[in-house]
Amino acid sequence: MEEKKKILIVEDAAYMRDMLSEMLEQEAGSYEVVGFAVNGKEAVEKYKELKPDIVTMDLVMEVMDGIQAIREIKKYDPSALVIAISALGTPEQKKAALNAGAEEYLWKPFTIKNLFEALEKLLRKREE
Amino acid sequence: MTKGLDYKVLILISTVLACTILAFFVGFIKDETIVYTHFFYIPILLAGVWYQKKTVYIALFLSFLYILVTLFSPQAELSVHVFERSAIFVAVAYVIGVVSEKRAKGEEKLKETKEYLDDVIKTSVDAIAVVDMEGIVRSWNKAAEDYMGYTAEEVIGTNNNFFFADPGEAEKIMRIVQRDGELKNYRTIVLNKAKKPVHVSMSAALLKDKNGVPIGTVRVSRDITKEVELEEKIEGERDNLNLILESMDDGVYIVSKDYEVEFMNKVLIDALGYHVGDSCYKAFHNREAPCPLCKNTEVMKGKTVRWEWYSRRNNKTYDLFETPLRNVNGTLSKLTIFRDISDRKRMEDELRDAEERYRVIFEHALTALCVIEHGEELSLANQEFETLSGYSREEIEGKKWIDFIADEDMDRVQNYCEERRKGEAPASCEFKFVSSNGELKHVNAWIEPIPGENRCIASLLDITELKRKEDELRETCEKLTELDNMKRDFLNVAYHEMRSPLAPIVGYASMLERCELPDKGRRYIYIIEQSARELEKMINRMLELARIDSRKIELILEDFSISGVVQEVVKDFEPEAKEKKQIISTIVPGVEIQADKQKVVAIFTNLISNAIKYTPEGGKIDIVVEDRGKDIRAYVADTGIGIPEEHLPKIFERFYMVDTSLTRKSGSLGLGLSIVKEYVNLHGGKVWATSEPGKGSKFFFIMPKRQ
Repeated sequence: MEEKKKILIVEDAAYMRDMLSEMLEQEAGSYEVVGFAVNGKEAVEKYKELKPDIVTMDLVMEVMDGIQAIREIKKYDPSALVIAISALGTPEQKKAALNAGAEEYLWKPFTIKNLFEALEKLLRKREE
Repeated sequence: MTKGLDYKVLILISTVLACTILAFFVGFIKDETIVYTHFFYIPILLAGVWYQKKTVYIALFLSFLYILVTLFSPQAELSVHVFERSAIFVAVAYVIGVVSEKRAKGEEKLKETKEYLDDVIKTSVDAIAVVDMEGIVRSWNKAAEDYMGYTAEEVIGTNNNFFFADPGEAEKIMRIVQRDGELKNYRTIVLNKAKKPVHVSMSAALLKDKNGVPIGTVRVSRDITKEVELEEKIEGERDNLNLILESMDDGVYIVSKDYEVEFMNKVLIDALGYHVGDSCYKAFHNREAPCPLCKNTEVMKGKTVRWEWYSRRNNKTYDLFETPLRNVNGTLSKLTIFRDISDRKRMEDELRDAEERYRVIFEHALTALCVIEHGEELSLANQEFETLSGYSREEIEGKKWIDFIADEDMDRVQNYCEERRKGEAPASCEFKFVSSNGELKHVNAWIEPIPGENRCIASLLDITELKRKEDELRETCEKLTELDNMKRDFLNVAYHEMRSPLAPIVGYASMLERCELPDKGRRYIYIIEQSARELEKMINRMLELARIDSRKIELILEDFSISGVVQEVVKDFEPEAKEKKQIISTIVPGVEIQADKQKVVAIFTNLISNAIKYTPEGGKIDIVVEDRGKDIRAYVADTGIGIPEEHLPKIFERFYMVDTSLTRKSGSLGLGLSIVKEYVNLHGGKVWATSEPGKGSKFFFIMPKRQ
């Protein structure tokens, strides 16, 4: 039995945080939400504190945006796994997120299927 | 005279002595006194001729001698006869004396006349010669000696034909004089002693004796060599003049004061025929009397006139130059030189008309116009310039061009003017114009050098008002741009915000799908998901267009196979097409292009999506791509409802919908085609559509293969 993957959810919208955790609950055997952050700054702090396996990172947030947060986290831990999630969905933003160090990218709106596909893809990439 | 007297006295004395001695001896021999006394008539006759009445004294002396002889003669007796004879002597002597004296008086008068004539002849400046009927020279005066070089001694007695250059002249002159009795101003040439020809004008008269028989001719000749030379010179000049006149292109003629044509040059003869000798008014103007405008009288007074004459008959205008011409014989003729100036006149008129036209245009032009002389002063201005400057025309003319230029623009305008003169600068230049009250006006100036002249024409358009409006417009435009940017930013945020609530809808719906639900519930979820996807698509498109408008889009270029892209898109639509029982066929060559793949996908996606949407069930959709070398041409054809022709040009416009009811049914905002157009344009291509309503539409685009 594989160890549960610890997930840090970074999202400024409460309903999105809720939805993400509820979705992840459906695969509670594989994933465990270890914490939430409502902005980039908090995300970095939480990452350092909780040392999650995966971060779902909303890109548009107050205080510190997702791109900046990804950079900080990657600087702190280059092996960190980040899925960027955004409602903007522009190629430029996707490019910026990937450049900052995000491994995957998820557009809002997404289905539960989309989320787990992205997570699996991320983990597969890591194993390789 | 004394000598003559002596010689006559001597003869008389000797004759008297001889008669006396003869008479004395005869008286000794015989008494024949009557005979010997006849000898005494010899001296009486001689004395009578020589001494006229004085003869009586001689006769008395002879009578005395006779008486003495008779007295002493031995044979003779002093008788009454002796006295008788003596008386007869005296009487005869008296008669002879009287007769002789009468004769002598007549001769003396004759002699005086002759001397007078001789003096006249001698002192005459004209040569006078007397030639007898045989042609022998009998008299030759001083003047003749002077210019002929021969002395009278050398000439008198010789034949006169010897003097003439043409020997036949002598006989001819004689013949004329004989025939007419005189000869007047006859010109001939004689040769002087040095054999040089001398021109003479000769007059001659016939000399007759008292019976009227011609005995010779008297000839008076004058040396006219100088006159003749002068005449020849004049003739020569006249010939030269004629030659010049002949060769002139202008018409030239000479008429006498009696209007008789004396000369016509070639041009005139060619035009009117030869009329020398005819009346000018008849020959040139077909009139019976001198023309009313004729300047002959004036010219004959020595005036030179120049005038223009318009001939109504042939509608031509002539420039005439008329001047008196002095002939050799002292009379005047009129020389006329004329030229047909109709063409010039017409051109002058046209030029005047054109000038007038341009003046009117200049004057009433709606732009301010002025002429700038080289020295910078203005020489001409129009009404509008008065209005612009606020000065009257008198004030403007003479003012400097630079007086009207605001200081801050001076260098720039001066440079512009200088370069315009060289033909280098751009056509117009804006500057601030200083008007009479110091008010500054914005003008757009155009300086144009006048070809071939050292000045320019400046045309100034008052753009103050225009400028003000332009500023207003710019301000408005800036405001609007700002507003537009604000609106776009707002929309970007708005679209983003609209997407956010979609996330939980789609997310929870997808989670609900995993739950155990009745069939009805599954159908509801499906509808929720489909609607959410439709909404997402719409928001995506609006977002995309907003990004295009804010120029936020850049092409991300890569090389890919066009057929790959088409197959990929078609594959996505297959379920939808299958559902509507539509057949999608593709003809795509295996060609690689360099483009933004995402956008090419979007182009085909939108076109195919539209085709499916507007084509009824069982329809057909063709996708064709053609390789045309430098570019590709593609089209998506459907068998749909088609688009009315009047809508075709507008279908690529944003939010344009052919049929709103249909749109509503199909759930579109009319943004797909406008995105297609923007993407194709971004690639440097072109889109268009053709359609037959009821049969179907064809959407084309062309795109370069490489960017």
